[in-house]
Amino acid sequence: MIRKTLLALPVALAVGVTAHADHMAENPADILRSVISEVPDSPYLTQSQQNLMMMEDNPNLWTVEDGKELFYAARGPNNVSLETCDFGKGPGVLEGAYAAMPRYFEDTGRVMDLESRLVHCMQTIQGFASDDPAVRQRHGSNSDHMKLQSYIASHSNGMAWNPPLDHPMEKAMRDAGEVMFYRRAGSLDMSCQTCHAATGKQIRASVLPNAMVPQEWTKAISWPAFRVGHQNSRSSQHRVRGCYWQMRQGQIVAGSDASIALISYWTDLARGQPAILPDLKR
Amino acid sequence: MMLKKKTRFAAGLAALASILLIAGGCAATDAGDPGKADYTKMSAEELAEHLIFAQGGFRLDQETQEGGTVRDRQTQDAMQKVCSESRNQPSPEQAGQIIADARASIQYPDGGIRLGDWQKGGELSWSGFGFRVGHNVDNHSQRDVGGNCYNCHTMDPARPGGNLGPSLTGYGKQRGNNEATRRFVYEMIYNAHAYFPCTAMPRMGANGLLSEDAIADIMAYVLHPDSPVNQ
Repeated sequence: MIRKTLLALPVALAVGVTAHADHMAENPADILRSVISEVPDSPYLTQSQQNLMMMEDNPNLWTVEDGKELFYAARGPNNVSLETCDFGKGPGVLEGAYAAMPRYFEDTGRVMDLESRLVHCMQTIQGFASDDPAVRQRHGSNSDHMKLQSYIASHSNGMAWNPPLDHPMEKAMRDAGEVMFYRRAGSLDMSCQTCHAATGKQIRASVLPNAMVPQEWTKAISWPAFRVGHQNSRSSQHRVRGCYWQMRQGQIVAGSDASIALISYWTDLARGQPAILPDLKR
Repeated sequence: MMLKKKTRFAAGLAALASILLIAGGCAATDAGDPGKADYTKMSAEELAEHLIFAQGGFRLDQETQEGGTVRDRQTQDAMQKVCSESRNQPSPEQAGQIIADARASIQYPDGGIRLGDWQKGGELSWSGFGFRVGHNVDNHSQRDVGGNCYNCHTMDPARPGGNLGPSLTGYGKQRGNNEATRRFVYEMIYNAHAYFPCTAMPRMGANGLLSEDAIADIMAYVLHPDSPVNQ
C-alpha cells in the first residue's frame, strides 16, 4: 500500500491529476474546510493541521480508482459487473446513494448499510459464495470491499446525509440504534455516549468528535477514510468494531442488524451536513 | 460474586424476552431468517435487546478473560441499566440505590489500604492492555492488565493524558497521603458510583479489572511524594 502510494504520487503530480477523482465534482478537502468554517473553534475538526494538508493527497483516492475498475469489471461465477446493483436510488445509480443509507430494501425486507448491500449484490448478482475472499475480506485498502465501498461512497461526496426514515423499519432501526448508543455494558461500563456526547473530550492525545454537533459528526462518520495511523482505508463497520473492542464489550457482528441500527442512528445525527468522501483521519 | 449472579439472571430474562417476542410476532421477512420477529412491533428498548441477544448482533459465545462469555458482558446489571435509561441522570431514589449497591460492592484489603510501588503504578496507569475480546483478544498470561488511567486523566504532566475525567496531576501533593485520602482514592478506583452515581469512571475493583496489588501500585503513583504525578 505504502509502496503503491509512493509510486502513484509522482505520477499524479506529473500528469496533473487533481486531488479528487474524475466523477467527483468537489474536492473533499474543500468540503471539510467549509464545515470547519461553520464551527471554527471545533477542537475535533482543527486538531491536526497536518491531516488537513494531507487531505489533498489522500491515499484513499487511489482506492477509489481501484474500486471504479472493480465495479465495472465482469466478476464472480456469473461473470457480470455490479452495474445492476440497486443501492436505493435504482439499479446502477450511485449518485447520492450512500448519503441516503442505511435504508430499507424491499427485495430483502431489511434495512441495509452500504457494506451489507454490497455483500448482497456480490452474492446475488455476481454469484460470489459467502466465504469467497471477495466477500469475506472486509478490511484494508487492498480488499475488494474497501475499494468498492470507497468508489461507491465517493459518489456522495459533498451531499447532505439524508437516510430515509419513511419506512417503519427504518424508524425502528434508527430508534434501536439510539438505545444502543446510550447502552452501558461491558467491563468498563461504557457506551458510545461516554466519549461522544461532549465537545473537546480527549482519549489521551486524540480529540473525540461530539455526536451532538453535526459538523463534527459528519467528519466522524465519513467512512471510508484513510487512517494515517493504520496506513489503510477503513469502513464504518471497522470503526464500530474498534469502539466496542476498546470499550471491552463483545465483538459486534459486521452486517448484523445491531450494527446497522447503530449506523442508522449515527447517520441520522449527521443529517443535513455534507459527507466528506473520502476522508482522512488520524 | 454478586455481580456475576445478577448478570446471569438478567441474561436469562433477556433470552426469555427474545423467545416471547419471536413467538409473539412471527413474520419471516426473507428465506435467510425464518422466524424473524416484527421489529416495528417492539419498543426501541426491546428491539435493541432483541438485536443484541436474539439476532446475532454480537459474538455472544466468545469466552472472556474473567471466565464468562460475551453474553455476560453485553448483559446489563442494575447500575448499567438505570444509568443507560436515565442517560446518566438517575432520579434521587435511583441514585440512592446505586450508591448503596456500590458501597456494598467494595471489599477492602486485609491489613488496611496501603500504597504499593509507584513506579509499577506508573506503568499500570499508562497501560491500556487487558480484557479486550473479539477480533484481537488480550492474553493476560503475556502482560499485566493495565489501568487505562491515562486514557481519561492527566497524571504525570510529561505524558499526554485524556480529559474525560479530572486531572490528577499534583493530586497527592494537594490532598496529602493520609488515611482519609487513601480510603477515598481506593473507593474511587474500586467503585466510584459510591460517590458519583452513573459516573463514567469504570468500576476497576468491583468489576474485577484490577487486582489488589495493582490498585495499591496505582494509588502509590497518585499519592506518593516521589511520584512524577506530585512534582
